[in-house]
Amino acid sequence: MVSLDCLVVRNDRLGRLDHSEVIQVTRPGVLALMDSIALCFPLLGASEAVSAFRLRDAGSPRRSFAMSIDSERPTDAAQWSRLIEAVAARQDRDAFAELFEHFAPRVKTFMRRSGASEASAEEVAQEALLTVWRKAKLFDPSSAGASAWIFTIARNLRIDLARSERRRQPFGSSDVDAEFQVDPSPLPEARLVAAQSEARVRAALAELSEEQMRVVELSFYEEKTHPDIAETLRIPLGTVKSRLRLAMKRLRGRLGDVS
Amino acid sequence: MTVRHHPSDDLLAGFAAGTLDQGQHVAVATHLARCAQCRAWARSVEHIGGSVLAGLPPSALSSDAFSRIEARLGEAAPTVKPALPPAPGSLDDVPGLPSFVRRYPVGGWKMIGPRVYLRPIVLPDAGETRVFLLKSGPGTKMLEHTHTGTEMTCVLAGSFTHEGGHYGPGDFDLGDDTMDHRVMVDPGEDCICLVAMVGDLRLKGWIGRLMQPFVRM
Repeated sequence: MVSLDCLVVRNDRLGRLDHSEVIQVTRPGVLALMDSIALCFPLLGASEAVSAFRLRDAGSPRRSFAMSIDSERPTDAAQWSRLIEAVAARQDRDAFAELFEHFAPRVKTFMRRSGASEASAEEVAQEALLTVWRKAKLFDPSSAGASAWIFTIARNLRIDLARSERRRQPFGSSDVDAEFQVDPSPLPEARLVAAQSEARVRAALAELSEEQMRVVELSFYEEKTHPDIAETLRIPLGTVKSRLRLAMKRLRGRLGDVS
Repeated sequence: MTVRHHPSDDLLAGFAAGTLDQGQHVAVATHLARCAQCRAWARSVEHIGGSVLAGLPPSALSSDAFSRIEARLGEAAPTVKPALPPAPGSLDDVPGLPSFVRRYPVGGWKMIGPRVYLRPIVLPDAGETRVFLLKSGPGTKMLEHTHTGTEMTCVLAGSFTHEGGHYGPGDFDLGDDTMDHRVMVDPGEDCICLVAMVGDLRLKGWIGRLMQPFVRM
């Protein structure tokens, strides 16, 4: 009889730690690691899929797992990836509709908080999801999570939009994607590292307080938007900047260099 | 050779968040092209961005938002974006640049001091930061200078030494108005750096004052 201690960590919608508990799982026979993890899934309920885990105490007969469950509805991060894959594989419109419903309104918020007008924010939200539809085949779930991938699409469109407004050139005419391709020789292991990175990032963010999380969020907007947010948070602008630096330093420290 | 001097965590985060101006972006990208460690952190920041995005409250879209986009799903994706015209003076011979930078037009080398040459890179979306290559002969002692703005330097070839340490290919150096630099290029080979500079370089001493009009570009 092998007994498994599973530490189940529930995250709220913002990825913060909600609560944690230990569940003991037993099963006859010695199990391969992957089997053990597969076994844990049904216990967690169909609507709560495991989004991250790490093996603890690998050598001991009682194996422990730390698991992180995203209670985001309707499903979790892996589910979003599956929807993008469905779009890639068979141009699945239902899958696309679900992605649109979830991400387009959030990309719009991201753009509004970045300082875009209502109309521009809506336009970028539309373009971002159209890009998801068109580039779904390029999405690699082993290298980026769905949210991270859509974030990079929104980020690049935001840069494109700012440029088109500044330089009076049509929206969509800059090749921003190329400007983020800096890796001269992506190694095969890079994918695996990236997959681990996503799980670790979630775990690290889960440890931040709500206020720290707001500061981290702030770092994704241009500096000119910081005064507004300093006002909402009711802290001086200088404090915002120093907290921002500190939050990033702390996060990187927690993630380590091979993050 | 290992890269020893890196951009700060929050500068790298700014790169991945897409909040740097294009000149700074180019300087950080040049370091990233040589540094797997910092690339990993930049990728983590993209994951953080994903978590931030997923955690944002939704904004209401216009009522016909989905039907409008649905009508466009059948459209063929626009063909490849217009490629930038090939650079007149090529950057192909310059080691260590990320490939997108190689497509930017460049000026010719111009001498700005004894054995010191400067070559401007023309950015498609130049903000306040100017970007140029700086080539100095082996053993050159650069003028003592301080900055009125921020200066980012990434070594492409050769090496130099100043109060902050020794800088070789891939190393990144941030200078601002709080520091005085006495740069000495190491013997042996030319030192080529990519420099992104906001503000003017103020040279101390009479040679510096004499040269200032040239350095201002």
